Amino acid sequence: MSPSPRKEGGPRGTLLVPLLAIGAVGTALAFLPSFVSSPYALHLMVLFFLSVVMGSAWNLLGGYGGQYSVGHAAYFGVGAYTVLILLQYRQLAPWWGLLPALALSVLLALVIGSITFRLRGPYFVLASIAMAEIVRLAALNWKDLTNGAEGILVSDIPPLVLGGKVVTNFTSKVPFYYAGLALAVAVVLVALWVERSKLGYYLQAIREDQDAANSLGIPLTLYKNVALVLSALFTAWAGALFALYVGFIDPATAIGLDISVQIVLVAIIGGIGTILGPVVGAAVLVALSEALRSNLVTDLLVKGGVVSESSRFGVFLRENLAHAHMLIYGLLVALVILFMPEGVLGALRSFARRRKRAVAAETSP
Amino acid sequence: MSPVLEVRHVSKFFGGLAANSDVSFQVEKGTVTGLIGPNGAGKTTLFNCITGYYPPSRGEVIFKGQRMNGLTPDKVCMLGMARTWQKVRPLAKLTVLDNVMVGALARTGSLRVAREVAREQLQVVKMEHKAGSLAGGLPIGERKKLEVARVLATGPELLLLDEVMGGLNPAESEEIIGLILDIRKHGLTQMVIEHDMKAIMRISDRIVVLSSGEKLAEGLPQDIVANPAVIAAYLGEAVA
Amino acid sequence: MNLFLQALLSGILVGGVYALIGIGLTIIFGVMRIINFAHGDLVMMGMYLAYFLFTLAGIDPFLSVVIVYPVMWLFGAFLQKAVINRVLDALPQNQILLTIGIGLILSNTAMLVFTSDYRILTTSYSSSSFNLGGVSVSEPLLLSFLVTAAATAVLYWFLMRTDMGQAIRATAQDRDAAQLMGINVRWMSVVATGIGAGLAAVAGALLAPTYYIFPQVGQPFTLKAFVVVVLGGMGSVMGATLGGIIIGATESLGAVYISSGLKDMAVYVLFMLILLFKPAGLFGKSRV
Repeated sequence: MSPSPRKEGGPRGTLLVPLLAIGAVGTALAFLPSFVSSPYALHLMVLFFLSVVMGSAWNLLGGYGGQYSVGHAAYFGVGAYTVLILLQYRQLAPWWGLLPALALSVLLALVIGSITFRLRGPYFVLASIAMAEIVRLAALNWKDLTNGAEGILVSDIPPLVLGGKVVTNFTSKVPFYYAGLALAVAVVLVALWVERSKLGYYLQAIREDQDAANSLGIPLTLYKNVALVLSALFTAWAGALFALYVGFIDPATAIGLDISVQIVLVAIIGGIGTILGPVVGAAVLVALSEALRSNLVTDLLVKGGVVSESSRFGVFLRENLAHAHMLIYGLLVALVILFMPEGVLGALRSFARRRKRAVAAETSP
Repeated sequence: MSPVLEVRHVSKFFGGLAANSDVSFQVEKGTVTGLIGPNGAGKTTLFNCITGYYPPSRGEVIFKGQRMNGLTPDKVCMLGMARTWQKVRPLAKLTVLDNVMVGALARTGSLRVAREVAREQLQVVKMEHKAGSLAGGLPIGERKKLEVARVLATGPELLLLDEVMGGLNPAESEEIIGLILDIRKHGLTQMVIEHDMKAIMRISDRIVVLSSGEKLAEGLPQDIVANPAVIAAYLGEAVA
Repeated sequence: MNLFLQALLSGILVGGVYALIGIGLTIIFGVMRIINFAHGDLVMMGMYLAYFLFTLAGIDPFLSVVIVYPVMWLFGAFLQKAVINRVLDALPQNQILLTIGIGLILSNTAMLVFTSDYRILTTSYSSSSFNLGGVSVSEPLLLSFLVTAAATAVLYWFLMRTDMGQAIRATAQDRDAAQLMGINVRWMSVVATGIGAGLAAVAGALLAPTYYIFPQVGQPFTLKAFVVVVLGGMGSVMGATLGGIIIGATESLGAVYISSGLKDMAVYVLFMLILLFKPAGLFGKSRV
């Protein structure tokens, strides 16, 4: 989890490798829509990119800073609602609406941060949940602004016109694919930059031992707020993109506890406090979601002979497993915490370390 | 020459309990001041008050002529006063090098510079070879040395060491004593809480004795060791 | 004035049940220092248990308490031994994440098994009330308050007068010291979770005649329980008792004088205020 490279060579030398890797992957993904036209595949990729963004953003505060917020849905919702409200009621194009959305999310982050950062550990977790619930209830009750429980439906996204030419009408999934890809690459680059900067070191120090960090000259509130603001910004951005993509939001889907839990899940499944962790987590979660939704799991169980198609259990599975998201998510959270608290990457790393030690033990005299 | 640190009538109350009671003394630049006393005398509490972990209930702490009351620990560190902890606090999931870098980053924004400073400090405590090890996996002796290196990296003028020899074997303690004397040679001022009387005698220019929260005595090591009140305080503890 | 007394009284009556939920939560926290985010879902389980005992076996919910408590005590003990025990030394953030996960499992399993249909438990006296000096008192609410009072009295007696109760209190006060004195602290954790779960479920059974029963009903109870416990002081049974009644009254008066939609928000805002300004609550030790 330490950012300090074990190889020699200045920071620029070691930054080069991950940068090249991200560049390569990013470029490859940029060409994907030219070869793959299936809307379903593009849809999955959009979900994947969004999850990468949300997980990585959370990771900045939670993984590196050690402050587990289970209320990030508040920022997601603010991003989503601001953009859609401005679009639907003020006819403001979403790329302009994004600016006030991000600004509001930063403001909300500073408010929530100033209130919750006095608390530690589990109390911070509880407070973050309570604050998000307050935001959700505000959205639910402020019917004039948000249309309450009915939500907001996107009727039309104006075409994006650059230099007199229409770039896209937002009718296909492709523009969302590229927006998602760009945002995901951006957030990963930010995470990389944070990890190898004074901010990253200080956040990790705060995570490991707040009081020790404080005594080493680290102003706690300042750095926690910086992490939170960055985190909130990208989460809100993802929220805005999600709202435009899906075309509809309401307080339950955009600001519910479920969203906050999913965000945390993406980060902890892959491995908190790492760059790749949220990427792995996003891949696992999106794959799992779709496997459930498409009845793939049920099909596999039936084909594998574990469950009979026509049995009551089989029918039950076929009807219900598709909607059992939150149940599976709950199970995943529990399983990860119990057996893999460092996430997939952390488990692999410990495994590698143990093997190295075993090999060393074998080969030493 | 004005003293580096002045503690003036400092008291600290927790509810009804007076952990420190009207403690006053001065520390001169470049010296090592030993702070001793039986368990529960209020030594760590005093350190906590001095470094801003919590403010004193009464009295003042003056560092380099500046009033420190109410300053948060990070500001205290930036002004040049740094402390180690009685119960070591390594940043467990970071490497040894990174731990010290965190200290060094107090004086620079550049990771490269911080890395160089960190390596220097690791050389001072003779832990260069462990730069890549995780701090959480170190044995106690090395954790203590790491903490010293880390705190030295913050570039302090006054160093407060809280039982830095606690739990160490004689060889390790000897290393620490050498380190303290070395640091002294470089002009840093130190204040050392310790239970090992022989060590305190060797390193201290002056000694302050606390007992039950109050300052019992202050003076040269040879005077303190012959002071009947001090002996009684320690004997009292031995009997109890 | 009548309206005020009315609201106040029904608030106090409901508050008694909130207190029961809070006491369960605070005992679990006191002994294991774990914040049980699944607590409200244990209440939900109690509600469903009471519902099915009533509809399938005709057992009155207030009597069903006698069955609900031991059954859920066992479930709580099982939860502790099988799952929660493994994270006693983990980061507190991880512990709460685990209980969040458990809560999700419980509520969503209920959704799978029972569907999200709202169920209503109507007894013959569900809507009856009687007049007490000009104020209308709901009969089921009064009954649940009485049962709660009785249960709380039994609990106090247990904690103060029995060996096991004292052992639990010792463990809550100082786990290491208790262990050194020969108390089996692992068993205490199991017992405490059992009691916590049992009390939560009993509260659910008591609320069943007056609330809609559905799988997600647990979540607001969890948050409410936290407000109760933080208000009273984490780990303080007395605090939770008082806190429950205060929250019940606040909520009831809030619904009448502010608005029904905003009353939930008022409770959360109160929660934040307490966390910030009096984190130790009325009786607890500051450990925030």
